[in-house]
Amino acid sequence: MSYQWRSIFSSIIQNAAFIALGAIALPVHSELAALSDNDLSEVDGAGIGFVMEDFAFSHGNDSSQGNVFRITGITDSDGNPVNINVNQMYIARAGSEYGDVIEGVNLGRLDNPYEIDLLDGNDIGLPGKGVLEIAAPRMVDSTLGYDCLDPSAAQGSGTCASRPASVDFEAGERPDIGFELEVNVAGQAQTHLNMHAHSAVFDGSYLRLWGEDSRMAAEYRLNFYTPALEISTCAVASSACTSKIKMSDFKLELALGNTFQPLYIGVDNTTGGFSFQIDQMTTNYLANIDPVSGASDGSAQGDIAYAFYEDYYSNQDYRSDIYVGDIEIGGTSLGSAKIEGMLIQHLDVRFRDLTP
Amino acid sequence: MIILSRTLLFVFTTACFPVMAEMKSIDDGDLSEVTGQSGVYLSGDISINENGGPLSDNYFGACTDATKSCGARIALQTEQDGGWFVIDNLRGGIAFEGLTMKIRDIDSGFGGDGALFNREVLEIGLPGTIRFDDFQFTLAGSATERPSDPGFQQLDLYGVEMSGEATLKGNLLVFPTD
Repeated sequence: MSYQWRSIFSSIIQNAAFIALGAIALPVHSELAALSDNDLSEVDGAGIGFVMEDFAFSHGNDSSQGNVFRITGITDSDGNPVNINVNQMYIARAGSEYGDVIEGVNLGRLDNPYEIDLLDGNDIGLPGKGVLEIAAPRMVDSTLGYDCLDPSAAQGSGTCASRPASVDFEAGERPDIGFELEVNVAGQAQTHLNMHAHSAVFDGSYLRLWGEDSRMAAEYRLNFYTPALEISTCAVASSACTSKIKMSDFKLELALGNTFQPLYIGVDNTTGGFSFQIDQMTTNYLANIDPVSGASDGSAQGDIAYAFYEDYYSNQDYRSDIYVGDIEIGGTSLGSAKIEGMLIQHLDVRFRDLTP
Repeated sequence: MIILSRTLLFVFTTACFPVMAEMKSIDDGDLSEVTGQSGVYLSGDISINENGGPLSDNYFGACTDATKSCGARIALQTEQDGGWFVIDNLRGGIAFEGLTMKIRDIDSGFGGDGALFNREVLEIGLPGTIRFDDFQFTLAGSATERPSDPGFQQLDLYGVEMSGEATLKGNLLVFPTD
């Protein structure tokens, strides 16, 4: 090796050291570490808010326009395919005339939006857990909110944050939601099923997800309020359709799962069928409660167990309500209907394939 | 000459590693001074498995073969060793013109909420109409992740097919909350 080449080689080696030194200065030494549930439970950061401004969605099956919207893969009991054409599906401003007038509606408010957030489980009865929450606008104090059902409600009339459409605020925050289905089975007459909800509100709904015993646990609240929910079987949903069930002032407050009894949503690893489960509730200190009187035996464990059951049975947040102001079938009023305080204590729903 | 080249190489080396410059955190005050460009305008034409995917076996194949599934498959598990939620046979096209993204300062409107809000948000403007071209998928539950896995058993719930133009308009506003 000549002197010149040796010098160049030496130069490369020494400069490689410089490069290595430069590389050492890079922040690549920081170590990535997985976050445990405990770490996550310490996180109490800001969430992300979502508001839809002037939003509208509409699509429907219409062969003359080349539009296709159908639901497939369903068979009747004889194995014949059931083709369901979705003639219309819409989310639009209240006053849509069954989806004929598609104008934009706001969903969520800037100061009370739809939100994705990571909650500290210690604050909601899930110690040491990080909880993902997807929530609709929260309920507010009745001095600030609006009646959840009245499509012309004024401020101070209720606990819903979403405002109805008005002269000053045409878009409103309560959408019309609906669909028209056309059911076709070979050899049978075509049938229809339509649903239309006017000025709908979902305030107070949320889905919370967390990990428990190697599976995903959930707490689900679905609040759905509408001054008019119509289910009809006419070829086209309209105000002229008489073949319908009309429910005025419809209120659904569904509670599935809670911190004591989470809802488990899964799939069977043998059949592939969906499963929805809420386990029976229990506490570690059941033996410290008198089985007849229900009183604590006076021990600390008994007092804990008593407080646990007291909360479980008295907390309205764990209970589901359905209220209908008036049910009208084919123009005949049947009056109001109410299911209140329904506590789902055990649920085990499994899907199975009926195909032979 | 060698010394000169080494010096040049050193300069070159340090120039290549901008990490030698001091990093300084930007506080909220500084960030509030930053103004972005006017935004982004997007048009798109997305096609998924129009003719079939890359796999060819007992389950997957070309779309011309009616006995095979030619769409994509997405499987999601919510329980260790449990079954799988599946979006199966996902294929077709979605086209849109005029999806926009920009930073917007809101200080009015929204039925009086805008003036109280008085902040900036990320605005994603929906295109107005969106065109589906034989877009379809099937919702299903499956015992295994892949159809080729032993013990595969799938329960199809229902399928959805969409073609033609749909209305999808409005602005999605995204912002941090307290």
